[in-house]
Amino acid sequence: MTDSRTRILEATYSCAGRWGLAKTSLEDVAREAGVSRATIYRTFPGGRDEVVEATVAWAVARFYLGLLEHLVGVSSLEDVLERGMMFAHREIVEHEVLQRIMLTEPDLLLPMLTLESNRLRESIATFLLTYVARTDLVDGVDPELASDFLARMVVSYIATPGRWDLTDPDQVSDLVRAELLAGLVR
Amino acid sequence: MSPMPEVAGSPNRLRLVDATLVCLARYGVAKLTVDDLAREAGLSRATVYRTFPGGRDEILQAVVDTEASRFFSALAVRLGGADNLESALVGAISEATARLEEHEALGFLIEHEPELVLTHLAFSGGDQVLAAMSDFVAPFLARWMTPEAAGRAAEWVIRIVLSYVMSPSDSLSLSDEAAVSNLVATLILPGVLALADLRSPSAINISPYGAGGAGPAATTGPLERPSGASPDLSRSRTLLSISSSTFDPTGIIDPPEEEAAS
Repeated sequence: MTDSRTRILEATYSCAGRWGLAKTSLEDVAREAGVSRATIYRTFPGGRDEVVEATVAWAVARFYLGLLEHLVGVSSLEDVLERGMMFAHREIVEHEVLQRIMLTEPDLLLPMLTLESNRLRESIATFLLTYVARTDLVDGVDPELASDFLARMVVSYIATPGRWDLTDPDQVSDLVRAELLAGLVR
Repeated sequence: MSPMPEVAGSPNRLRLVDATLVCLARYGVAKLTVDDLAREAGLSRATVYRTFPGGRDEILQAVVDTEASRFFSALAVRLGGADNLESALVGAISEATARLEEHEALGFLIEHEPELVLTHLAFSGGDQVLAAMSDFVAPFLARWMTPEAAGRAAEWVIRIVLSYVMSPSDSLSLSDEAAVSNLVATLILPGVLALADLRSPSAINISPYGAGGAGPAATTGPLERPSGASPDLSRSRTLLSISSSTFDPTGIIDPPEEEAAS
């Protein structure tokens, strides 16, 4: 049996996917999760706002864990970036709840999502640092700065592909080798 | 940061736009009223509506257009005046960062009404802004590389600036010109030069931004200034249009008009 915190987050996620963020009330969440309103307030003293923020954070963390799982066993920096960006892009495009809310309530979602994407960027930078440290960098390039830079680029391209088709392996490979790595790697 | 030089035209229009900027920096968009900005500008409500018949919404659109024009004009000065690629990049990145970071109205909105800004920077809104900015910057970079490479390089550099401005880094501030020079020298310039080097077998043609693929004969070495070449401003201006009808920098100035109010 999942703990009540997780049940509340999952319930909020389903309600938001069904009715949108604005129309999701704590009553809906309590009913969906099978817990009382009192339990919700005990778990999230900040009430509705805290529940919604925690749900966005939870969904982003789940996305990140999926990404890490997808990259298990990949060994080179280049491969990690290529496979990671393609996977992340596909997840985002096929993420029905995210896409629906971005279409109907971007004003409510984006501030929270931006905050979470900053955390996501820091996690990605930490993750990439292991790979960057094993890579032969251009003289004068600091591995931490390089990891932070790469994480920024990854987040930028997956959120806003611009001119790129991130479903095309040839384009992604070109992008990783030129825009992402050309200035960093020997 | 000095405002765009006053061009002949309706002084009330710019006066109202600047008064609105002051109000926005103080309390944002939601609380903005025509009364407040009329008072700030020292003009009557009647004059405000004569200048902007559409009222508050039309003024806000004029603010966006004016600020975009000021921003792009300043970028054009730095990009057009540079005589090598490195100083073009350092100048443009420093200028863009300073203007974005020191913009008090924008700063208030990012802090208190972030949804108004963010919808233009992520997902499909981000794609549009990125395309408009790339289309503006690319022709300047095309003095040193093919149009295709310039388009890629411009988009890439703009992503870097937006990322560091929207989420400042502890270890790297782009408002520090020395840090920008260092970042350009170690990371950005090598990246741009790699993009410019279309001998790379991996280079594939993905240029939706225009004809692209001009032969190598059309360009000169990345670090020399091409003789006699100057950025084609008219092209940039047309390309700049997010919505071409409202985004013409010359359109921010009204025809001269007698002011008799207040």
